[in-house]
Formats: sequence, structure tokens, C-alpha cells
Amino acid sequence: MNSNRNTIFEEQASVVAHIHHPGAQSILRLLAPKTAKSAKPGQFVHIRVSDALPLRRPISIMLTNPEKGTIDLLYKHIGEGTKQLSERKVGEVLPMLGPIGTPFDVSDTSKRYVLIGGGVGVPPIIFTADALAGKADVVVFAGSEVEFPFALKPSTFILPGITGNTTLTIASLEERNIPCRLASNAGLYGCYEGHVPSLARDYLLALSDEERSRCVLLSCGPHPMLHAVAKLGRELGVPAQLSLEEFMACAIGGCAGCVVKTIEDGQEKYRRVCVDGPVFAAELLPEFS
Amino acid sequence: MSKPIDLSVNFAGLKLQTPLVLLSGCVGFGEEYTRIEGFSNADVGAVILKGTTLEPRMGNAPHRVYETPAGMLNAIGLQNPGTRYVIDEVLPRLPHHETQFWANANGSSLEEYAEVAAMFDDSPVTAIEINISCPNVKEGGVHFGNDPCMAAKVVAAMRARTSKPLITKLSPNNADIAETARLCIEAGTDGLSVINTLVGMAVDVENRKPVIGNISGGLSGPCVKPVALWKIHQTRAVADKHGVPILGQGGLTTPQDALEFAITGARALGLGTGLFYDPLLCKKVLAGLEDYLSRHEMDSFEQLVGSLKV
Repeated sequence: MNSNRNTIFEEQASVVAHIHHPGAQSILRLLAPKTAKSAKPGQFVHIRVSDALPLRRPISIMLTNPEKGTIDLLYKHIGEGTKQLSERKVGEVLPMLGPIGTPFDVSDTSKRYVLIGGGVGVPPIIFTADALAGKADVVVFAGSEVEFPFALKPSTFILPGITGNTTLTIASLEERNIPCRLASNAGLYGCYEGHVPSLARDYLLALSDEERSRCVLLSCGPHPMLHAVAKLGRELGVPAQLSLEEFMACAIGGCAGCVVKTIEDGQEKYRRVCVDGPVFAAELLPEFS
Repeated sequence: MSKPIDLSVNFAGLKLQTPLVLLSGCVGFGEEYTRIEGFSNADVGAVILKGTTLEPRMGNAPHRVYETPAGMLNAIGLQNPGTRYVIDEVLPRLPHHETQFWANANGSSLEEYAEVAAMFDDSPVTAIEINISCPNVKEGGVHFGNDPCMAAKVVAAMRARTSKPLITKLSPNNADIAETARLCIEAGTDGLSVINTLVGMAVDVENRKPVIGNISGGLSGPCVKPVALWKIHQTRAVADKHGVPILGQGGLTTPQDALEFAITGARALGLGTGLFYDPLLCKKVLAGLEDYLSRHEMDSFEQLVGSLKV
């Protein structure tokens, strides 16, 4: 019998807030108490965005509020699905499955988790940082080519290897005592000018060998960024976990539609991104090694 | 108090607790949907396991699925761990007391189909569905199902190696589905699944590439429902004469659809893409059937099957 029985919930999630930001970004708050209560960092929800597109869309969870029963999602209007999602108004109800997927493995609290997110890959990084606050050593690097859809403020944390004008952090992370710095190629004030893996590399290189040996990279973002993170991990001997995305149909392991190639014990396989992932150890993924 | 409505059906010698059958390729190797709170195997008459070949297959490169208007394309490529693994590792772990599990057999030669049948004959599956829409490697890759005689040869080859009920899944991409049905019945099939997906494709215009890694994929969902109903109607003309039941499938996504399939002649009702739209569809379809039967003063689902007035 399946040991995963009754771990995913079908909820009629009502839109509590839907805030639109520059760069075709939106933050959606949904009332989904069961998902809010049981979601783990790195997991996602599968949402019916409109009656015209009955096949659901997978979106990462950015934050949960178990007391209020809400979850926050950040997404960019890229395809038809996310465009239609952006039209949903407060009070509308979206059928939703969640929480789904294998989360980031953050079970070893003796580690330092170096979180690297880019663009719409930032949400699971925020969720992970929030969940680990006060429980493990965490540092966040986030990159964006458009304005960040968050309140920013100067960071009071001094981070090794970070110099010059790289001063800003995400205010909500600062309030939870999580050190963070930002990167962008778009000339955004207070951000490192360049790609976010380069910013993380400066930080990692400035650590002592002992400190670096405790680090684990957790990353989500566009493929070129994940390639750079995987390469960084190999270069410095730091393990990396990557969160992937792929077109999905069922999102619960039934159709094998959303696969990624892995190599396990020397054998090539296709694993399901929905339930075997979305988080995979980088060394299992030939595309990133 | 009114008499309870009997939703069970007799299908190819099997007693199904409800007419609902979860379709091959949509529900993994049997237990994926029980991850969802509120989903119950007790609501379905049978679960058809993912298509299985003699040896393991990796399947196709992504993308494998893509939403299209009122439907979707898929090209999974029969990713499966091989028949031996399914029998030794998958079947022993399934809750056979909750519902029936059927195999879905595939092959690239008559010999492979026959061997898969022989192996599943000695297993807890209660029936074997035959996917005849596989390329015949020895005959230049023509799909077995596209040639009625070749389709019947697949059935005969498997019939010789198993006493389990065989259910042949007919392709709508075949010119004469009734003739294929007739020959498959003569070759010994006990039931017919009508229909498999239609072949289609989609184009990514920015990259000028096919969206689906395999170029073509199987089209399913509400857009194929009218085709499915017509093919069931055509098949029934042959199947009824021989008392061979039809598992209707193709775009069943609402309780209303279930009624249409049953009235047209489907004794069992297949759910596939409909589960992706609504993973808790089973309970809604069963409630819809009960409501309809009650309103029309019928006390069993079987009274509704094939009640189409033409």
C-alpha cells in the first residue's frame, strides 16, 4: 500500500490578495488551510487557473501562514496559463492540489544552507529561508533582471566576500535575521552587477575551508543559472540541490509526463519532476553535471 | 425507503464494484491517486496499470505533455520497468482487496505480446488490456492496430498464452473500427476498449519546433469525446452480437459525459484526462449516475447501458 496516502489535498482555494508588480510579476495569496499547514520548502501547488484551461499549472510555494491558512505564490506572466492566472480577482476560487513534491533536504542542521534563487525561482528560496530561520545557518542570494517584487532595505549583516555597492536585502528576510544579498544585470541600485551564482561564488570563496565544507547549495531558477550553480558546486566541492520545472499533467505521479533524465548507479532513467522531484541532487542530473 | 441503486457491472466475466475504470498511463502503477485525500480505490471497478513491455523502456525525451484546446497531447513512450519487475515488485504491494488491477500489455512483435501475456497469466491482475497501437518492428513500424488482421493476430497470440480476460484497446486512427472489433472478437478478445487517443501535434512558433519531444502525441480530453461516442456506437453493432462489453473512454470529464458513454453502449467508463482536470472526479460521476438512475426509475446501472434510441 502507498505510504504517501492522503498527503496531497484538493482545496477550493479562494484568492485573498493578488498584487501585481513591474516586470509582469504577481504575488497571489490563497486561502488553502490544509496546504498551508503541511507544506514543506521546495514543494509546489497545482492550480486550475481558469475554466478555459482545465489542465492545472504547477507553481512553487513562496510562504505559508498556517495560523491564517494562507499560502503565497509568486509567478511571472509567461505563458497562457500564467497570463490567465494574473486575471483572477480577490474572492474567486481556484481548484488547487497541494502540497506536492519532494522538498529540499534541510534535515542536517549542522550545515550552512546557501540559497540561490533567480527570477521566479526565488519563491522556494524564500520559503526555505523562512522555515530555517533560527534553526540552521542560512544565507540567501537572489537574482532578478526586473525589479524585485519585495520591499528592499540595506542589510545590517556583513557577509564575507561581498563588497562595494552590494548593500540591499529583502526586508522580510532581514526582519527574520537571515542574511541576504541581491544580484542583477539590469543596473538595479544596491545589487551586485552580474549573475547571482557569481555573487554566491564570491561569498563561498571568502569562507574558510572549514566553513565551506559545511555548505550546501539549494537553488531554483532558470536553466542557465542552475548550470552555473551546479558548476560552482563542483568547482568548490559543495553539494547542490536543484529545483526543476517541466510541463505537467497530473502532478501526482500518475502520467510520467514531467520527467527529467537522471543517472543512478550508472544507469540512465527518467524521473518524474512532480513527485520524485522537483528537487534533485545535482550529481544525479546529467544535464547539470 | 427506495431500493439502493446497483452500480456494479459484469464485464468480460468480471464483477466490477462500479463501472469506473482508471485508464492506463494516467494512474502510474496503480497507487498514485491515493496520495490525494478523499480519493478511494473503492469508487472504481478497476485500475489499469501503466503500459508494460517485456523489457524495461526509458520512454521519450521531454516535453511529453502539452495542453491543447479542450484536451492535451501526450507522448510518454511507454516508460516502464519491464514485465518481470511489475510482477515481482509492483503487484505484490497493491491493495487488491480494494479494487481490481489490470495489466496493459504492449509489444513490438507478436512474440513479445505473447510472452507478456504468459507472464501476467501467473499474476494477481484480473484482466489484461492489449494496447495494439504499438509499432510492429518486423513490418516496418506499421502499428498493429492499423491493420485489422494484424490486430487480430496480436489477440490470438495472447489468447493462446493466457486464460485471463483480454480487453483489446481499439484505435480511432483506423479506417474501419467495426471490422477490427469483429476480427479481434473472433481471435478471442473478451472486451473492447474504445477509443485510444488520436494522433496529433503542436508547434512552438518562437522556436519553430514541435512542442512534444516525440513530435507527435496522443490527443485526449473533451475534444475527442464526440469521436469516442461515434466509435463506440459503430463498435457496438458488432460487439453486442457476440456479447462482448465495451470499456468506453475518450474525453469523459463530467457526470453528464458518463451518461452519454453508458447510453451509447459503454458498460465500463474509463477516466483518464478527466482525472487530471479533477482528481476527485470518481465520486462526482458516481453521484451523477445514481441521481440519473433514480430520476429515471432504474435500479441498476446495467439497465442504462446501450439504451440509446436510434
